[in-house]
Order: sequence, then structure tokens, then C-alpha cells
Amino acid sequence: MEAIKKLNLKGHLLTAISYLIPIVCGAGFLIAIGMAFGGTSQGTLVQGEFSIWDALATMGGAGLGLLPVVIATGISYSIAAKPGIAPGFIIGLTANAIGAGFIGGILGGYLAGYLVLGILKHVKVPKWAKGLMPTLIIPFIASIVGGLVMVYIIGAPIAALTLLLTNFLDGLGNSSLLIFGGVIGLLSGIDYGGPINKTVFAFVLTMQAEGLNGPITALQLVNTATPIGFGLAYFIAKMFRKNIYTKVEVETLKSAVPMGVINIVEGVIPLVMNDIVRGVVATAIGGFAGGATTMILGADATVPFGGVLMIPTMSRPWAGVIAILVNVLVTAVVLAVIKKNVPEEEMDLIVEKEEEDISLDDIQIF
Amino acid sequence: MKIVGVAACTVGIAHTYIAQEKLENAAKKAGHKIHVETQGTIGIENELTAEQISQADVVILAVDVKISGRERFEGKRIVQVPTEVAVKSPSKLIEKVEEVVVQQ
Repeated sequence: MEAIKKLNLKGHLLTAISYLIPIVCGAGFLIAIGMAFGGTSQGTLVQGEFSIWDALATMGGAGLGLLPVVIATGISYSIAAKPGIAPGFIIGLTANAIGAGFIGGILGGYLAGYLVLGILKHVKVPKWAKGLMPTLIIPFIASIVGGLVMVYIIGAPIAALTLLLTNFLDGLGNSSLLIFGGVIGLLSGIDYGGPINKTVFAFVLTMQAEGLNGPITALQLVNTATPIGFGLAYFIAKMFRKNIYTKVEVETLKSAVPMGVINIVEGVIPLVMNDIVRGVVATAIGGFAGGATTMILGADATVPFGGVLMIPTMSRPWAGVIAILVNVLVTAVVLAVIKKNVPEEEMDLIVEKEEEDISLDDIQIF
Repeated sequence: MKIVGVAACTVGIAHTYIAQEKLENAAKKAGHKIHVETQGTIGIENELTAEQISQADVVILAVDVKISGRERFEGKRIVQVPTEVAVKSPSKLIEKVEEVVVQQ
């Protein structure tokens, strides 16, 4: 375990995802706008035979088609720094060529990065050849070994596995969709942009790169709806003459709700910290409802980030709106019901909460 | 005690800045001087100066991803945690950092 932890596999994946997100968002919006106006994503734009919408869709399609390459390059860079970029790029393109897709890109990235580290450690060259190391030896050897492994060994099984997975998810019936969407919603709802949320994100992003937009839509709609639900809960509770937030908390909400509207769930963290169990219960139930709704109705956003800005990119925008409303309403009602009334005299109180203990596993000292 | 730090999370728009704020508040509350650089998706902000780094007693890295310019802290005592820890338990983290500095 210790050795695996030291490899920091998850950290490398997260680094790559941090480079990937702006590309997915930019390209996703391009293709969404282009296709909404009747454009199609084309392999080549033949002079005089395309409209501006074809151009937009093609730009977006080109960007999204490169996701396996981006993830491979990002992971390889994270592992081996600058020398990792070239082989990561080549092996990522190879993953694309053999049809191993996003999962192939991820594995290819690890392969490329560790190959580079291995070469740096074990291949020694005379002083006069030092310059050849980064320019020729590393990119050539890492690429030929990694690329051939991708083509002849891992590529085909990954391609088959990916196909199996996407077919399986594509063929899910309504009851399975309900559970699947619900679980995604629940998992992304319970830690407000934290590690669980990000792990689910990596998983649903993989599916989106394979052309399944449903799961990632579920995740991001939950992230969008959760803070709005916290805001609505205030008013619902008020209707029943109940105060569920202190004054400081209400102030926090004034920024947390607008942040939520554009997909940033983290604003509600301070509120949840003050009342962890009730907060998590409410968002989990709301997330389950919202996630299940979007999966069943098939909201399918092509852009994996942006909150309400995702709605126009959906194949069924009304489904997205309904899912958000369901999620917001459920979270708000649950919060309004289960949160304790804050008496008048405690309204100004600033709650000093005992901080969570730090797990020693989380700390590295150098 | 003088502290420098870097905060960087995966998406680079929220946790990065919450971690920065929490660290700054907790350190000031404990009577330390602190500068925290953020490396979000927008790039580096509030960049640490060479002087701040050379004078610092300890470096706190609240990072989920690979950061740029790590070599600046060569030879310094570094305490690295996920952003989550800085967000949830900033004061306890500062306490822990104090221990680390005393031990050295």
C-alpha cells in the first residue's frame, strides 16, 4: 500500500484533469453552438462547402476528439515533468488510433511517464551525448516502447472493454438509469467538490469522452443545484416561521447561491461544516433525486461545466431545468424540515466549531 | 514564525482560493506571518517573492495537483497536504506545522 501511495497515481490523474477541463469546456461550447444551428463536425473543412456553424462544430469536435491525447500528455507530464510531454503526446495519439479512447489515454499517460522516469534513471550516456538524451533518446525509446505496448498489448482489450462499458450504459433501462443517476448524484452531493466528488468526476468524464453525456450532466447539475437548495431552504423555513441559519450563515449564502448557479458548489462548505450530518443528509437525498431525474429524462449536456450555462448545450434543455428544480426543491425541503430552529438570541452567534482532526496519512513532510 | 505557501486544486477555481483564505486566517490568528500563492486555472496569482521564500521558516503546500516552481523551495522544510485539509482544519494544520518547525 505504502508503495502505491508513493506513486501518487490519483494526483497525476487530477493534474491531467486540471489541464483537460478548460479544453472540454471550450470545445464543448463550440460544438454545442455549432450543432444547435445545424452545423456538423467534419473531418476536413473543404473550402467553400461549409457554413460558420460547420466550422464551429468542427473546431469543437477536433478539441473533444483530442481528449485521450490531452489526458495522456497531462499524466505523463505530471509524472516526469517536461521530458514526459513528448512521449505522452505520441502514446496518447496512438491510443486514439487504436480506438482505446480515454481509458487508453489514461493508461498510456502512466505508461509514458514511468517509462521516461525509468530511462532517466537507468540509461546513462557519455557526456558528449547529454544533449541527445532529452531530444532523441527519451522521446524515441519511451514512444516506441509505450506505443508498441499500446498497439499490440493493451490497446485492443481496452477498446473492447470501453465498447462493452458504453454499450452496457447505453442500454440501461429506466429503473437502472434511476439508480445509476441517483448514485452519481448522491456521491457528488455528499462532499461538496471534495475527493469523492472529484473521483466520480474522473469516472463520468471518461464516459463523456466516450460519447455518453448523461452521467456527467447528472454530476454537474447536482453541484449546481445543491447551493441553490441551501438558499431556497431559508425561504421555505421562513414560511413556517423557522430560522435555520444564523446571520453569518445568511451572509455566506449570498455568495454561495450565485456561485452555485455557475457550478461552484464549494461556497456552501462553511454552512455544512456548522451542521455536517443534517447538511449531508439533505444534499445526498436531493442529489439522488436530481441525478435520477436527469438520467431518466436524458438532459445530456455536451459541456461538463458551467451550471445553468450548460442548459443551452443540452439535447433536452427542459429536462435539465426540471432536474435542477427537483434537486433544489428536495434539498431545500429536507433542510427546512430537519435543521434546528435558531432562536432569536442566538442569531448573532458565530459558531466556533471544533475542527476535524487531521489524518496523519494526509500529511507529507519533506 | 514566517510561513510561505502554495494552494492549488484540481479545477482551480474554488478550493484553491478557499484554502488560501483559511490558511491566511488561521496563521494570522496564531500570530504568524504568512504569504500564500495560488495556482488556479487562471495561472499564478499572489506570487511569492524570492525574499519571502528565503526568509520563511517553513513551506505549506496545500495542493491536489502538480505545481509549478516547486524547485524554489529546495532545502526548505515543506509540509504538504491535500487542499481538503487546509479547508477543513486550517488551525490544526498550523499547529502541526509549528511542531514540525520545532522538531527540526
